[in-house]
Amino acid sequence: MNHPVNNTEESAPMFLRASGITKKYKEHRAVDNVTLEIDQGEVVSIIGPSGAGKSTFLRCINFLEMPTEGTVSIGKESVAVRTDSRLPSRAELAAIRRSVGMVFQSFNLFPHLTALRNISLAQERVLGRSGEEADEKSYQLLKRVGLDKKATAYPGQCSGGQQQRIAIARALALDPLVMLFDEPTSALDPEVGAEVLAVMRELADEGMTAIVVTHEMSFARDVSDRMVVMVDGSVVEEGDPHAIMSAPSHERTRQFLSAVVGR
Amino acid sequence: MLGVVGYIALGIGATLLITASAFTIGGILAIPLALAQRSRFAILRLLVRGVVNLVRAVPPLVWLFLVFFGFAELGLRMSPLMAAIATFSFIAMSYFAEIYRAGLAALSRGQEEASAALGLSTVDSYRFIVVPQVFRVVGPMMASYGIGLLKDSALASTIGVVELTFRAASQAQQTGQGLTIFAIVGIIYLLLSLPLAIVSRQVDSRLRARFSVA
Amino acid sequence: MIENLLSWTQYLPALSKGVGVALSMTGIVIVLGYLLGLILAYASVSKLQVIKIVALVIVEVGRGVPLLVLLYIVYQGLPQLQLTPTAFASAVIAFTWSAGAYSAEVIRTSIDAVPNGQSEAAIAVGMNRLDSFRFIIAPQAIRVGIPPLMNIAIQFFQFTSLAYVITVPEIMQAAYFQATVTFDYFSVFLAAAFLYAVITIPATMLVSRLERHLAKHL
Repeated sequence: MNHPVNNTEESAPMFLRASGITKKYKEHRAVDNVTLEIDQGEVVSIIGPSGAGKSTFLRCINFLEMPTEGTVSIGKESVAVRTDSRLPSRAELAAIRRSVGMVFQSFNLFPHLTALRNISLAQERVLGRSGEEADEKSYQLLKRVGLDKKATAYPGQCSGGQQQRIAIARALALDPLVMLFDEPTSALDPEVGAEVLAVMRELADEGMTAIVVTHEMSFARDVSDRMVVMVDGSVVEEGDPHAIMSAPSHERTRQFLSAVVGR
Repeated sequence: MLGVVGYIALGIGATLLITASAFTIGGILAIPLALAQRSRFAILRLLVRGVVNLVRAVPPLVWLFLVFFGFAELGLRMSPLMAAIATFSFIAMSYFAEIYRAGLAALSRGQEEASAALGLSTVDSYRFIVVPQVFRVVGPMMASYGIGLLKDSALASTIGVVELTFRAASQAQQTGQGLTIFAIVGIIYLLLSLPLAIVSRQVDSRLRARFSVA
Repeated sequence: MIENLLSWTQYLPALSKGVGVALSMTGIVIVLGYLLGLILAYASVSKLQVIKIVALVIVEVGRGVPLLVLLYIVYQGLPQLQLTPTAFASAVIAFTWSAGAYSAEVIRTSIDAVPNGQSEAAIAVGMNRLDSFRFIIAPQAIRVGIPPLMNIAIQFFQFTSLAYVITVPEIMQAAYFQATVTFDYFSVFLAAAFLYAVITIPATMLVSRLERHLAKHL
């Protein structure tokens, strides 16, 4: 399962490193010894057929899914999980989650809070920012995703695309080192998905560090610096997006790409 | 007749006291029970489920007699009013635990995941995300159960608590005008339950059918 | 010690006579109650305002007034009109009223739960209203309604305990009699609780299993 692309020994400490991540459900290995490293400002997209373990792997990075085994290091924080040993402590989980922002497929906005409150709540409770400071920051973020007019609206009063943009603003509000996007446009109509992708593209241009699980091949090709192909819980190919899409070296990648492009 | 009605209406205080006390005490005691049902430990979950199901499997009247007459025999003597409040609080606790559990189950998993991903502590996640949302689902169901409690409180008359039904029964026996007197009492109960009924009307009727109590 | 813990079981035979009375009362009340519920559900959507209002009042009183008060209205109230039903009959009348009211509500909401598109589709393929109800609406409504209707039956088995106050010889009446004779209140009422639980718990489990089974085809 080791792939020759990584030469970690010689590079500087990576920004984020998830190594040897394995997630077993009973005997099934949903994620099988996957290692991924990402540098500051890099955007990595993970593609692959459904059921390949892409989302599970992503959710292991911030421990929404407890990996059966593996280590996650972000900046100075490092948390290891071993099958036979302790689970991460609350403090460790909190530290990792503070450094990682996550955007979900189904948005998961808090329906009883306004757009602004969705964004400001964690700033106040987790980072200890004052009310005014958090509101100001939230408003700036809403502006950045083009939704400052929706500050007092509730999620139910916003379209799916707007909700996802608010969710992106919510995740950015904690100034995360890395953003995780879990199929952010899968629940949206294509034309609505486009407005979300446009926001993500801008953020990438501004230097956001992100891992994106996606089925949007053109986004993956044009925006990401690196592409990772996962099949059956393992990484089968990794490298330059254009190179992979024009000349996949692995048979499974070829099958997957022809199926996706053929649609 | 007016004097009779006045005499009966004096029972409203005791009826409301039993209902409100059981509602409050049961509502609070149910919180740890509902949380225990989400515990990681299967034994704890099973234990709580067992208690909740057992309480509901025995009629309130039997619990009432067990507490009032039975506990007295074991040496724990209570006034009829105390016994009624204790019994109905205990019963309400198990119903509220079930209502809270349903409310928590109605909350999408994504809500707690999103709070976790934002780094909110468990306490904060409950305080700002879970409880406010669950309350919207559960509020009407609680109101609906409150009506059930109000009606159940009539049972307290059987152990001698001088509330609405007790006063009505004694007047009916004295005057022989049972129909008139109990019709009036029925209307009083309906009027008392009106505020709660308005709240509970907002609940999905299928959920109401499942949790309704007479 | 064990003997002490199980001493309450000695009262089970004496109380079990009451179980028969309670079960047969439940059976009668449920059959009559479902029938009344069907009529009330139908009447509550009647185009005649008078019928509709009468039905709604019967339902609201049946659901909103404590069952104990309904019981007194019948048992102590009807004599005021020179009618003197027996204790058993009084209990059946009062419980049927309440069971009918609850059933009416369940039947109405079950029919409401069938999407509008279903009757539209039935009419679109040329069915008349009766056939559409019989073949399309009713079978779907029944899937929704059966579990709550069966829960009503279980509830009313428990409610038969109230008939004790008007001296119907059901479980609680037998228990109270035993208790006043033996002064062993705790054990006697524990035995009564056991009898109710031992019937209610399996019945409830059966209904929730049925509910899961029916929900699969919705």
